[in-house]
Amino acid sequence: MVAPGLLVLVATTTFPLLYLLWQSLQNINLAMPGMDRYIGVGNYVRMWEDSRFWGALSYTGIYTGVTVVLQLVIGLGMAMLVLRIPRAQWAFRVAAILPLVLAPVVVGLFWRTLMLTPDFGIVDYASRSLGLGSHNWLGDPELARFSVIAIHTWQWTPFVFLYMLAALAALPEDLYEAAKIDRANAFRRFMHITLPLIRPAIVVVVILRMTVALAAFAAIYAATGGGPGTATEIVNLYAYRVSFAELSLGYGAAVAVVLLAITLAVAAVLFRIRRAT
Amino acid sequence: MSRRSGSALRGAILMAVSAALLLVWILPVLLSVLTSFKDEKEVLAYPPTVVFEATLKNYVAVLAGPSSIVPNLTSSLIIALATTILSIVIAVPAAYAIARLRLPGRQPLGFYVLATQLVPPIGLIIPYFLILNGIGWMDSYKGLVLIYITFSLPFAIWLMVSYFEDIPREMEEAALLDRASRWQAFWYVVLPQARGAIAVTVIFVFLNAWNEFLFAVILGGATVKPVTVAMYNYINTEQTQWAQLCAAALIAMLPVIVLGIVAQKHIVKGLTAGAVKGSGRR
Amino acid sequence: MTSRGEVRLEGVGKSFGETRVLRDVDLDIRPGEFFSLLGPSGSGKTTTLRIIAGLETATEGYVHLDGTDATLLPPGDRDVAMVFQSYALYPHMSVEENIAFPLKMIKTPAAEIGPAVREAAARVRIEHLLARKPGQLSGGQQQRCALARAIVRKPALFLLDEPLSNLDAKLRVETRIELKRLQRSLDVTAVYVTHDQEEAMSLSDRMAIFMDGRIVQIGTPEEVFSRPASVQVAGFLGNPPMNLLDARLSGGTASVGGVSLPLPRYAALGEREVTIGIRASEVRLADRGMSATVTLCELLGEEMIIDLDVGGAMLRAKFPARARLAEGSDVHLDVDPDKLHVFDRATGMRLDP
Repeated sequence: MVAPGLLVLVATTTFPLLYLLWQSLQNINLAMPGMDRYIGVGNYVRMWEDSRFWGALSYTGIYTGVTVVLQLVIGLGMAMLVLRIPRAQWAFRVAAILPLVLAPVVVGLFWRTLMLTPDFGIVDYASRSLGLGSHNWLGDPELARFSVIAIHTWQWTPFVFLYMLAALAALPEDLYEAAKIDRANAFRRFMHITLPLIRPAIVVVVILRMTVALAAFAAIYAATGGGPGTATEIVNLYAYRVSFAELSLGYGAAVAVVLLAITLAVAAVLFRIRRAT
Repeated sequence: MSRRSGSALRGAILMAVSAALLLVWILPVLLSVLTSFKDEKEVLAYPPTVVFEATLKNYVAVLAGPSSIVPNLTSSLIIALATTILSIVIAVPAAYAIARLRLPGRQPLGFYVLATQLVPPIGLIIPYFLILNGIGWMDSYKGLVLIYITFSLPFAIWLMVSYFEDIPREMEEAALLDRASRWQAFWYVVLPQARGAIAVTVIFVFLNAWNEFLFAVILGGATVKPVTVAMYNYINTEQTQWAQLCAAALIAMLPVIVLGIVAQKHIVKGLTAGAVKGSGRR
Repeated sequence: MTSRGEVRLEGVGKSFGETRVLRDVDLDIRPGEFFSLLGPSGSGKTTTLRIIAGLETATEGYVHLDGTDATLLPPGDRDVAMVFQSYALYPHMSVEENIAFPLKMIKTPAAEIGPAVREAAARVRIEHLLARKPGQLSGGQQQRCALARAIVRKPALFLLDEPLSNLDAKLRVETRIELKRLQRSLDVTAVYVTHDQEEAMSLSDRMAIFMDGRIVQIGTPEEVFSRPASVQVAGFLGNPPMNLLDARLSGGTASVGGVSLPLPRYAALGEREVTIGIRASEVRLADRGMSATVTLCELLGEEMIIDLDVGGAMLRAKFPARARLAEGSDVHLDVDPDKLHVFDRATGMRLDP
């Protein structure tokens, strides 16, 4: 009973990864099939000198870092807020579930059309009404980078919200009562009781959100396709474009391998931190 | 006196802030619903209108028109259902065996399953693309469902293993002493209690399969085109048909939205299962 | 008297990886006996029970059930029923289904299951709860449901793992008596694990006392109480625990806290460092004898427990409440030398004259 299930499990992940590694050592171009051949670390050398790769890498760092921090701050803040309004919690639960069940591609499309279109989008309408003028939210490279981060944050903050809500609700009341008797004010209670107690939950949330941010695809693809140009191209998207737009699968595989290595490294560091708490 | 009015004021501010936040998260869907009932010309009106003459013609076009989304809905349904059923049927017994049988390689295996969850999908798409191409299973249901299972199965097993580990062993021991075989103990005693966890797993596997985009767009094609890919029918470079896009998107997302609202308790429980264990209570 | 349910453990030991939790366990449990395994937490008594049940396998030694070697036999093949400390009731089944489960597993014909379940439920007086689920029962009712499930199969051997520990004090005492009556009326062999020495004393025909993974004494409650084999056993049984005082034995006299106790029968033991054991109930007030000062009085209704300072050594005595002693008063104590226990200080083992 166990053996076949586990075999399927191991086979379906190990085998493709090994295959991926092998492909990364080849030069494969679907447009010119006759040219396929083994080139060893050639793709990796090319990557080292590829400025577009480094651009993607640096933006990935910004994207991941900013969205995770924003999700954490907003999600935790909302959870603490909502804890004080027990009666409205059901409304927040429903509102939180909505973004989480939507397909990321649909989220990207919604934002691209309804929210961020110059002139007709709600965000543009709001900014005009506030006197900030109309902007090309997805067409201007700098704004696009910010917009795409906003979209990801919008979709996944509810997860942090729900998770933190559960973590906070599980904290024992008597600790706070003891602290109040010991004359700790609200800020102190937060810093010395709440924060240390939810630290394990925060670490778990950071791990989950980081890995999702590194693997983000559909929403960015739908919103900007990685553009304008390569402004919103995270490494994941770069690998996709190289493989399926430029049809250079060997190089795409190499980029994917590097992304995998980065993801595992980040996860390993975070797990070590988790074990330490 | 001042304390009471102070807290009333604080209460009002909290309410206002909460309402604003609530709005932010509901807004896109709300707007989409609104837009889907508008005439295309109405959509482009500025300032955007809230009161207008509602029309159903977008929904009619999306459902019954020449580029109807109905075949895509069928595609999504087949893929999602097949993936879910197959994944659960394999995952639940496998997870039980992993949780109960004291296998020697348990720790590294658990770690490995976790690691598979971290692989960026693009890393798997490339080999799968080449493999499916090679065996001629591109753009086919069997090909796509097979690939979907490869990422649903580890996830389902991981969810169920942690659940099974939490069930106290004593009940199965009691069953064994009552002359039940391991299989009978699993079927009569453990499985009925795992109903909640299985429900959560089913929901998440289905959701992920329904919403999947990358794998569908690369490994599917003209025959197998789930709704997530079909969205792009309504966008072209010249003129995006906004109202129809919204109608199509809402129809496409209807199953998952309904699932989300109906099963919200289960979903929240599944998402936050670790939160209660990991903090506070010792 | 039944002839089933004989248990024999030979040299049984258990290790979990590097840790040795049980060693050199030799036990002979006779059919029809109520046999307790008594000891503090972590002493190995529950592990021993689980080895008898087949839920753990002994890493050393042999287990014989009714004459057959059952060391490697799976739990389902032994004619054994068990009541777990947590009751382990199946929460999704009704009480009736819970009790019927063992019969269902051995493929008892459906027509026979109903009456057997009702009979078992009646024996523990829960026939009126058959339709409820375990979650709807009180602790005491859940415990009886677990009992019913165990007896419905009429097993040869009945194992109980601290079944009363989750009940409140009063219920514990009431249920204790019921358990004994049940065992007698069913005529089964019972092996009972507990850390509560009062429970073991009141229920058992014989008991085995476990300390640190081995058996330190086996005997009837009377034997174990009046002739404890070691200092550990002596200090474990009895409430309040036996007074244990360091003393020096020399020429038939023990010097304890400045006082000399004549022990003529122990003269043959010569010079030794010993520990003298005196039960709280054996200490008597007298006009002459050891001088002591009362430091604390605990009134327990009909009795009182007095803490006494005897020349620097602490002693606890049990007197009837009407003795009326005030804290700080000076008294004289006397002890019957025949009621003293002498243990070798170095080994802790009992010394006999």
